[in-house]
Amino acid sequence: MAKFFNSLRDGVGFDLILVGAAMVFLLALAGLPLVYNVLMSFQQVDMFTLGQLIRPFAGISNYVAVVQQPEFWMVTRNTLVFVVGSMAGQFVLGFALAVFFAQKFPGAATIRGLFLVSWVMPGLVVGAIWSWILAGDFGVLNSILRGLGIIQSNIFWKSDPSFSIWAVIIANIWLGLAFNMLLLSVGLAAIPRDLYEAAELDGANAWQRFWTITLPMMRSTIGAVLSLGLIGTLQQFDLFPALTEGGPANTSNVAGYWSWQLSFQLYDFAKGATVSVMMFVLVLFASILYVRSTRHEVRG
Amino acid sequence: MSAEPQIELVGIDKHYGSFHALKNIDLTIPKGAFVALVGPSGCGKSTLLRSLAGLETISGGTMKIAGEQMNGVPPRKRDVAMVFQSYALYPHMTVEQNLTYSLRLKRVPKAEAARAAREVAETTGLTPLLGRYPRELSGGQRQRVAMGRAIIRNPKAFLFDEPLSNLDAALRVHMRKEIRALHDRLGATSVYVTHDQIEAMTMADHVVVMRDGVIEQQGSPLELYDTPASKFVAGFIGSPAMNFVPGKVSADGQSVQPDLPGAGSVALGRSVGAGRSVLIGLRPEHLQVGGDGPAVLRLPVSAVESTGSMTYLTLGGDPEIMVVDTGRTSVKAGDTISVSIEPGNVHLFDPATEKAI
Repeated sequence: MAKFFNSLRDGVGFDLILVGAAMVFLLALAGLPLVYNVLMSFQQVDMFTLGQLIRPFAGISNYVAVVQQPEFWMVTRNTLVFVVGSMAGQFVLGFALAVFFAQKFPGAATIRGLFLVSWVMPGLVVGAIWSWILAGDFGVLNSILRGLGIIQSNIFWKSDPSFSIWAVIIANIWLGLAFNMLLLSVGLAAIPRDLYEAAELDGANAWQRFWTITLPMMRSTIGAVLSLGLIGTLQQFDLFPALTEGGPANTSNVAGYWSWQLSFQLYDFAKGATVSVMMFVLVLFASILYVRSTRHEVRG
Repeated sequence: MSAEPQIELVGIDKHYGSFHALKNIDLTIPKGAFVALVGPSGCGKSTLLRSLAGLETISGGTMKIAGEQMNGVPPRKRDVAMVFQSYALYPHMTVEQNLTYSLRLKRVPKAEAARAAREVAETTGLTPLLGRYPRELSGGQRQRVAMGRAIIRNPKAFLFDEPLSNLDAALRVHMRKEIRALHDRLGATSVYVTHDQIEAMTMADHVVVMRDGVIEQQGSPLELYDTPASKFVAGFIGSPAMNFVPGKVSADGQSVQPDLPGAGSVALGRSVGAGRSVLIGLRPEHLQVGGDGPAVLRLPVSAVESTGSMTYLTLGGDPEIMVVDTGRTSVKAGDTISVSIEPGNVHLFDPATEKAI
């Protein structure tokens, strides 16, 4: 063990400074808020104790109170729909685009590059754009759907309780699509061409090549994309204030936005912290999956 | 070897944009033959092989495998197997799964596929490795899996794309024999691409020398060695490479005078156009130090390299003349020696067209 640590040292301490700087940064900006947040979820917090670190201990009463909130199950269900819907859309469409752009045609790389525009745009801007696209009375989406004869009357995407969560999901799919496509493209490019040629000679058609070569060879990439997608989707915030503000009647509210509402609109910091701790456990789980998936890289 | 053709290529052309990769290739490969396509890189040999597999589409000509026209037929319907230079083993499958991949695609029952895999593993010596993944195998073992994957399909033709170039020298010599033995045992038809003329000479019944998209010459290995059709083939086949010396045919057309200081005239044993300029081709192993015949060249030795069994002598400077002497010699660098050659071993080429005379 000592030998292992010695192999990491340069002998003059510069290495310690480098590691130390990174550790201080991490502890100050990620560790402390995290610990403070967890601490707060076990305390009674009100406007009078807001400035104190040590507050009355509340046990798990905050957790019980959060679960007993009338909107808790609605928000849980919405979060689930939002995460699964967004990830499925981002992944399937992203994979399809990645495969599409992996074909050699003129301008493939350039057009793929243009897709990244959606990824560099701030969520609030994306939210504003989609707010116009999804607008009930003058939105372009309704007008297209009507034109194609798919719907007869306008859908009020943002204010109809049965569509509001889908309005945010559609915008979020668009927002995360390019990121998914990019990571999956890298994974696709890493598969040697001659594997496909060998499979082709072995009698595999395009569909069989996809199932027996592409998918298994992409295992670790897919794991990474899905884990990062889960984390990114749970953290999504900007689209909610821009599109629905969680409404109407919490029908498009998800855990992340709810936690912000509890803390900064209702000033119930304890409950807000509790919800975010619950989410943190979920994200932690996803992170472990991600780390494990990158460890199982297939190497030729 | 029966005469029935297994692969017939007539007038094959291949263009990559403005680059003409294959120019009017005609080649007939009989059933059961082992044919080597050999040539320097960029000569089109791999393109020709990949066209046979269907991985490249040809621009013109007709291609038949076992009597069936193959133009435009996708690779998976051609029933040919290919062994890649990189082996192209499926990294996420075990050796057994690699072997049975084609069978599983054809929905061959599991038990039958497993039995076929065991049989092939037996012939290729892979039995103890069936459960391993490619990353756990050595280069030679991967090579065998690639071979096994081809064998299990019992294809109409085996295509080899420089399969031995990733192996070390000793293993290469061994695998050379193994592949040839396997070919004979299976009665297969094989097309083997290599840039190594030794591989082509030792393995193939029929060698096709290619250059710049055309077939320079084809024939049995010894035909190519004994009667090269051009300076290119003469220089490509044989190791070390043939020496070329400019010269002039004598007035009676019976001998040739190398254009080197101190060189004597060389009897040809045949009659050639009197007085014409030629390139004289002399194989290093045909030049005898001292020797009984009249001295052809008398040149200072610039280098002596001995491998124990052979001694390589480099004579003169421009052009350098290589001489292979079997056994050991007392000749040292700086000595001036005479070498002679049998009349039948002298090759003549036209300096302009580089064709054999």
